[in-house]
Amino acid sequence: MHTPAESRTAPRWIFWLLPILALAIPLATNPYTQFIINAMLIYTLVTLGFSVVIGNLGQLAFANTAFFGIGAYASAMAGNALGLPWLLTVPLAGLAGAAGGFLASAAALRGIRLYYLAIVTLAFGELMRWFYTHAGALTGGTDGLALDRGDIFGLQLNSDTVQFYIFLLLTTLLVAGTVNLLRSRLGRAIVAVRENEIATASLGIATSRIIVTAFVWSGFVVGIAGAMFALHTGRVFPESFGLTQLIINFAMVLVGGLGSVIGAVLGAVALTALPEYVRAFPGMEEIFFGVIVMVVLLVMPKGLASLLRRVSPIFHETHHRD
Amino acid sequence: MTSLLTVDHLGVHFSGLKALDDVSFSLEAGQVRAVIGPNGAGKTTLFNAISGYVRPTHGSVRLNGAEIAHSSPHSISARGLRRTFQNGGLFPALTVLENVMTGLHMQTEGNFIQILFGLRQARQAERDAAAKARRLLKLMKMDQMADIPASELSGGQQRIVEIIRTVASEPPLLLLDEPAVGLSPIARAQMMEIIKRLSGENGVGILLIEHAVELVMAAADRILVMAAGMRIAEGTPAEIRNDKTVLEAYLGHA
Repeated sequence: MHTPAESRTAPRWIFWLLPILALAIPLATNPYTQFIINAMLIYTLVTLGFSVVIGNLGQLAFANTAFFGIGAYASAMAGNALGLPWLLTVPLAGLAGAAGGFLASAAALRGIRLYYLAIVTLAFGELMRWFYTHAGALTGGTDGLALDRGDIFGLQLNSDTVQFYIFLLLTTLLVAGTVNLLRSRLGRAIVAVRENEIATASLGIATSRIIVTAFVWSGFVVGIAGAMFALHTGRVFPESFGLTQLIINFAMVLVGGLGSVIGAVLGAVALTALPEYVRAFPGMEEIFFGVIVMVVLLVMPKGLASLLRRVSPIFHETHHRD
Repeated sequence: MTSLLTVDHLGVHFSGLKALDDVSFSLEAGQVRAVIGPNGAGKTTLFNAISGYVRPTHGSVRLNGAEIAHSSPHSISARGLRRTFQNGGLFPALTVLENVMTGLHMQTEGNFIQILFGLRQARQAERDAAAKARRLLKLMKMDQMADIPASELSGGQQRIVEIIRTVASEPPLLLLDEPAVGLSPIARAQMMEIIKRLSGENGVGILLIEHAVELVMAAADRILVMAAGMRIAEGTPAEIRNDKTVLEAYLGHA
């Protein structure tokens, strides 16, 4: 009944199959569907970063949308003020997001946990939004900041196909890094902190360091997603990083499956596609969206990832709660 | 010669309340010392004060001569003093193997960058840790359970896995907080076997809180008796068995 762990988890090469197959996607898309698929890649990272903190680390932190905004504005501001080409703003956005993650982890380390952490991190997100709105000289205020997309190596960055291949590469690398992290001793320690922080410390593990690591990685991944978002939409607005965004991101994590990497991909894909389908019912979009999310969670409280796990054990990930 | 563990006039006072008061003893490598006493005697407070979970207000704790009384739990553990918990300290969602591997965290090589990029050093370190964890589980006849979540184990199995996890890094000093509580007679005998093996064969110094009298009498080299946060007696099992103060503390004679 119980097979050894090596045969339960997928072999390493299977991971690369999906992005390789995805290379063919632009052959089958039109500009509209390509635009949506690009958004799926961005939201995969947003969901993944969020899931590491609330799913794996088990901290009720909602600073995720703040990291997303920080990354997007860092990219747009570096492009505008410093004249950096977009590609060079990507690592900057990641570092800015990681700095945001570090700040959020400081709250958790100060002993602010559970509902208190939730409200502190929500306030952090709103504070950032207030900053974008009021620091007009830097951020363009409510009008937002337009991006001069430019090109890389002669490829026009405003092409959705070019964006797709860049996003696919970034998303694949960051998902691979996250999988490696979660499968390592650090990933185990992150879950151990969630399960029993006191016992984790008794094993010689500096739990505060583990908490910082999870938050900083989350911020890094989501910050890069922010830079992708800035390129994708061509203009960043304060309103893109408000509570609506947060609620949708949260729904993506839960619909996919809390703390699951496959779940993050599935949740992001499903909930990026869904609004496009319910658009057929004007005026009812939010209701349809909400009802579908509710039904999915009622039927599959462990998210879409649990469905895959039932199909085959190779989709089994370590450390999830089942 | 310095002792493995030296507890010197240790006290934990909370605004007038003396949860622990003026407790002294020492422990050598390969020795088993039991701490017994009625509920509320301060046994767990003593453990928490030694392992860094409660800050002592008085006295000192030395591990191989080095002061640890004001260090954090993780740094005390990293120096070789490891403990288990009365209410069980396993990580329920992790498998048995992963639980034991978490005990090897500090011994597992690989920095953040090597891990992130899945470099060979990090992957090899993971495999080594897994192999060592499996070996330890097999030694305790728990290898059949390696890949199931810890939450699915029976109470007795959980206690045994917790001990395997705690000793995986081969700490010289072990604090066991009621390892036999809630165990069946068979599991209790197995636990005693494990404790004896760790101290006898591996030379681990063991400090043990236990209510099961027969286990204490059989396993301990020396016994510390506590009541109301204080040490009321100390000696070999034979001495403690005949000690009048101990009988009074337990039976409530004035």
